[in-house]
Amino acid sequence: MDQENNSRREFLLGGLLAVSLAAGCNSNKDVFEDAAGEVKPSGKKVKLLSVDGDVIEVDEAFLKPVPHMPPVSNTEARKGIPGKKFVMVIDLSRCKNLKKCQEACNHAHELNPGENWVKVDPMQEAEFTAPYWEPTICMHCDEPPCVKVCPVDATFKREDGIVAIDSDRCIGCRFCMAACPYSARVFNWSEPEISPAVAAQPYSIETSVPQKKGTVGKCDFCADMTREGMLPHCVSACPNGVFAFGDINEDSVSNGTETFRFSDLIKDKAGYRLMEDLGTKPSVYYLPPVGRNFPYESGLENDKIQNK
Amino acid sequence: MKLLNKIFTGTLLLTLLASAATAFSQTPEKGDLSIAINYYITNNRVPYLVVKVKTKVDGRFKNVAGIPLKLYLDKDSVGTSIAKVITNERGEASAMIPPSVRKEWNSQSKHTFLANFDGDKKYSSAKGDLTVSRAKILIVAADKKVTATVLALKDTTWIPVKGVDVILAVRRLASDLNINETPTFTTDSTGKVSGDFKRDSIPGDAKGNITLLAKIVDNDQYGNLVIEKSVPWGAKFIPVSTFNNRTLFATRDKSPIWLLVIVYSIVIGVWGILIMLVLNLLRIKKLGGSSAQ
Amino acid sequence: MENSIFSAKGKIIITLKPKKAISAGDDKIINDLLPQQFGKAGKLWVGILLAFCLVGLFGYYRQLRYGLVVTSMRDYVSWGIYISNFVFFVAISLVGSLITAVFRLAGVRWGSPLTRIAEIIAVAAIVFASLIIIVDMGSPERFYNLFTHGRIQSPIIWDVIVITTYFFISMLLLYYPLLPDIKILLRYKERSGERLHKFYSFIGSFWKGTPDQFKLSDKAINILCITIIPVAFTIHTVTSWLFATTYRPGWDSTNFGAYFIAGAFLVGAGAVVVAMFVFRKAYHLEKYITDNHFEKMGRIVVLLSLLYLYFNVNEFLTPFFKMKESEAAYLNGLFTGDFALVFWFAISSGMILPILILLFKKGRKPLPVFIVGIMVVVGAWFKRYLIVTPTLLHPFLPMHDVPASYHHYFPSWEEWAITLGSLAGCMLIITILARIFPIIPIQETLDEQHETVK
Repeated sequence: MDQENNSRREFLLGGLLAVSLAAGCNSNKDVFEDAAGEVKPSGKKVKLLSVDGDVIEVDEAFLKPVPHMPPVSNTEARKGIPGKKFVMVIDLSRCKNLKKCQEACNHAHELNPGENWVKVDPMQEAEFTAPYWEPTICMHCDEPPCVKVCPVDATFKREDGIVAIDSDRCIGCRFCMAACPYSARVFNWSEPEISPAVAAQPYSIETSVPQKKGTVGKCDFCADMTREGMLPHCVSACPNGVFAFGDINEDSVSNGTETFRFSDLIKDKAGYRLMEDLGTKPSVYYLPPVGRNFPYESGLENDKIQNK
Repeated sequence: MKLLNKIFTGTLLLTLLASAATAFSQTPEKGDLSIAINYYITNNRVPYLVVKVKTKVDGRFKNVAGIPLKLYLDKDSVGTSIAKVITNERGEASAMIPPSVRKEWNSQSKHTFLANFDGDKKYSSAKGDLTVSRAKILIVAADKKVTATVLALKDTTWIPVKGVDVILAVRRLASDLNINETPTFTTDSTGKVSGDFKRDSIPGDAKGNITLLAKIVDNDQYGNLVIEKSVPWGAKFIPVSTFNNRTLFATRDKSPIWLLVIVYSIVIGVWGILIMLVLNLLRIKKLGGSSAQ
Repeated sequence: MENSIFSAKGKIIITLKPKKAISAGDDKIINDLLPQQFGKAGKLWVGILLAFCLVGLFGYYRQLRYGLVVTSMRDYVSWGIYISNFVFFVAISLVGSLITAVFRLAGVRWGSPLTRIAEIIAVAAIVFASLIIIVDMGSPERFYNLFTHGRIQSPIIWDVIVITTYFFISMLLLYYPLLPDIKILLRYKERSGERLHKFYSFIGSFWKGTPDQFKLSDKAINILCITIIPVAFTIHTVTSWLFATTYRPGWDSTNFGAYFIAGAFLVGAGAVVVAMFVFRKAYHLEKYITDNHFEKMGRIVVLLSLLYLYFNVNEFLTPFFKMKESEAAYLNGLFTGDFALVFWFAISSGMILPILILLFKKGRKPLPVFIVGIMVVVGAWFKRYLIVTPTLLHPFLPMHDVPASYHHYFPSWEEWAITLGSLAGCMLIITILARIFPIIPIQETLDEQHETVK
């Protein structure tokens, strides 16, 4: 019974399903579909009701239940998504040190306590310059010093700009940690405190789960989320919209609620990158902490929990 | 009498004990679920529902996975059942309107969707509902101007609707970029909104095609509607990949030629000498074997 | 006369070719220089070293079981005393090229008794350099990835290549000059015992000492000496590049290659001086390692100390003059802050005091030179620690959102145990090699003796 089958399946949500339907109906190829993999018509049709009250037939393949995309192969994960180049914009004028980004990231990647891939640092360069809270993540540099020094290709730069880590290859020499000037990398000094079920999963480069003892970890721009056309966890988790993520090849970044034209945003708000003089060419841009509507001190209370 | 009294007190005690026991062994308070139904139509084709189930834990909402829900159209009877779904790990489930409820669907322009959860060991039963009126959205794009029209079904005709918030945007990765500075447009009496496309040279595909869209988000009456249109208003974009270049930060098979030359020549040179010296040792060994001593 | 056959009338009819008899003088030399069995002190020494090694192994077992969390290294100080120990071992291993190769090529004859000591130290040190670097790895079970997936762009792979090469060269440079001595060892079977004798025949019975063999061997040794010098320079330069290829303050220096090599030569010379004194005392080799040797080695150590001091001045004075923001905290930490005690100790013990003591003739007597040698080696170990840790505690971005323990570093007992175990292991290898092979090349000593007699 179609009804029964439909109800037992889990459908793709939102855009992906709509898009694949739309793609099935028009011949427009959407960028995600390329990423999701070619959805080939199976030949079997399903009858559905249209908004006009007509019964239409849609190929079953487009309704295929894929609760989550299956993890891509190691080779695919090392290559990345061609044609994209991910970029992050962090608006320092909005950060209040709520650390919701950190919570979401740690939860999504099952990190040990004390291992934060997102750190929110109190910054004040000189006596009279502005104090502000600066969230730092891996910068996914275009000329990454960490990748240059890795002896076994355990960390590598993908075509879509993401610098990823293969925890099955890493020998734990920690040269990448010494080489990174942004202190973006953390090390799994002990056995990760994760459930045995999660620990038994095969390691996926795109989810960076499960972390392994004796290997390095860092922000991965949530490669699995971006492959499905969703925003990384830190971006969605921030209530102030500090993080805006997007594709520089589409010239657009979004923090979940607002979307900006990337080139205009950086030009208008004088965006910059950290430690530009080192020549690492990071993919994370910062917007200066001007025009804050709350004082820097409002973030101090929240800071005390981790930094006594 | 004494015996009867004894039996009476005995039974009373037993019932008290039993109820006390059940009171203690009673399961902890069942959680409460909040069920939200969202209604979507894309490109005026097949409408579908996305049901989100959350529960409040420590004052924060958490998604709940594995909740079985029964979805109905207007009435919760077998004839108007839409689907039976189970929420995924994100606490969401989706379902499309099946042809079996066609009669009910066509009978009126306003519908209520019902989601029922019968309750299980952890959570008490819960219900959710959403009332929508059937609506359509159309888009026209010409001369760098985008116009969208919103029509709602009244009886059997589609009439334009006034005062609906519409977003006109360009589809991007995981988000939509507004076509100009105005975040939202509101339909006028003819149900139309219009905006100038200000995003010049926004990168499109290799031919410069971009996807325009007009969407209504979380409208109380009409739900979520979106319609797309592909136009060649974007800048031609052909990605240039440096992935296969030979650099110091490439993979092992793409190391710079100059580095390979230097390292290999040093290694071959020095190890060549070492191998020669080992062969030399073998010669010495041979000389030692042949000399008469 | 004993070799002639006389006729009845007393005329020499036949003169037999005299058998190659060992002259009394030679015999004395050989007897002095043959490896001696361990006395009480020797056995105690080996016992102590073994004890350290065992404790070290237990520490490593704990590290393998629980992970590197048993050390005090954390996300900021991600390299600790394992790496500084590694640099120390690589530095010491350069002594082989200095004493053996440089001296030989420069025609420095007085140095020839020291060549065997130098080579043994070099081999022992390079073996433990490789071992300690494996100990430092977080996932050593994937060690083979270095060979199956090695990236030639990585300085670590360059280090692996050079260390392997240097190990083989040092082994060859130990083995080739050993061959004539093995022949002598084989002759004195009663001194070696059954098992050692078998071992000697296995590795060197083919050496007969013919002029042809000597010709080949001498040529080979010459080629080795010439080759080992650039390889030695490369090995320590590449090791210095493990730090100099990063951006960090204190490591981002163009000076590092030469700085490390100068330091390596110094600590190598110091190690030889210490070993010289100990072996001289333990095996009563006063006639072969004379006061003159200490006098000359003392001069060499003072020269190398001055050279290293010069590099240190360059390394610290110029950034101090500029006081760049990124380097200011690091420099202040070294000069007046948390690391000041260790820093000034390393400088004085490793360079200043040796220079002051050795500039005077009285300071170049055996005992003072020995003490200075120890000071140089200890100072050098702490200097390597200062190269690794202070820089890591001054990253560009503030140390934040980490547990409090991440802000400091003092090695845990496991780290100390493993480090001391590796040092003990290195000394154990040296001790064992000195027990098996003559610590002073016998044949060369004999040759020199013959030459002086002529």
